[in-house]
Amino acid sequence: MEELFTSPYFGIALSVAAFGVGVKLNRKLKSPVCNPLIIAIVLIVAVLLIFRIPYESYNVGGEIINMFLAPATACLAVAIYTKIDILKQYWLPIVVGCGAGSAASMGSVWLLCRLFGLDESITASLLPKSVTTPIAVSIAEPAGGVVPITVVAVIFTGILGGIFAPLLIRIFHISDPVAAGLAIGASSHAVGTSKAIELGEVEGAMSGLAIGICGLITVLFSMLC
Amino acid sequence: MKIIKQIGILFAVCWISELIESALPFSFPASVIGMGLLLICLLTGFLKVEHIQEKADFLMENMAFFFVPAGVSIINYFDILKTAAVQLVIICVISTVITFAVTAFCVKFTVRLMNRRKK
Repeated sequence: MEELFTSPYFGIALSVAAFGVGVKLNRKLKSPVCNPLIIAIVLIVAVLLIFRIPYESYNVGGEIINMFLAPATACLAVAIYTKIDILKQYWLPIVVGCGAGSAASMGSVWLLCRLFGLDESITASLLPKSVTTPIAVSIAEPAGGVVPITVVAVIFTGILGGIFAPLLIRIFHISDPVAAGLAIGASSHAVGTSKAIELGEVEGAMSGLAIGICGLITVLFSMLC
Repeated sequence: MKIIKQIGILFAVCWISELIESALPFSFPASVIGMGLLLICLLTGFLKVEHIQEKADFLMENMAFFFVPAGVSIINYFDILKTAAVQLVIICVISTVITFAVTAFCVKFTVRLMNRRKK
């Protein structure tokens, strides 16, 4: 029985199947709460627990999928490159906004963690939670963070941004689409960006730019800490 | 062959960034070095977007899928989650709102300053 599940094909096939179900459900229910990634994680955890399959067996295939994270992050460069004209036109507000946003995110998380008396490893896991997952993980891991907590916090933050972005734009009276787009991208990375694209072309482009730039700035900040 | 070539180019970029990472005296994520390296290649015209377009679209459109295994490893950390779940939710909500507001207002302020200077 054991050998059946230690093949790398098992982990890969299970991941693809669970993610497929997640995408289908997401399309049907059209709610940002039904994030395909969250659905896939819940399904796989359930399968592993019910059939008593050790996590290590699943992860033989999982590690192969992990290998694609670095090239996927590198491809954010393509997103920046295709929007280079907007970047040149608005470089100052983009850099100022993303810099201040990244600092506000890390600062507020650090303060709140202190306030709740959370330990160092949880604080390190949460600090980069506003940037896109591959960058957040590569910041949290060497700092002594717990990677899955980072992943869950990042996705949860993205979903929050996706749901509340229109409301926040109204509350804070953000009429400028450049400001709105950058704020969405800085606070809730790729998941928020999918909402920003719905709001408008400028919002979407700005939000997409903010993902890569906030990621870079957050890396620089975390090196200083 | 097209896709294989594109995979080859991207993996080569990632491999070179890992080499750079290990040569650097301080720790800097290889994936972010890869992003910078790729951007430089595109800006200098060493690589054209067409060289990697399909593979890049494939990776970025399916970005979430590649995090499935990383997320599943939460199974090993249920204890930590149980003790701090409420705090984690509160932290995420508050800091997301703060980040949003600070970014939006800083951009608004900078754009206003730029416009004033132009006049």
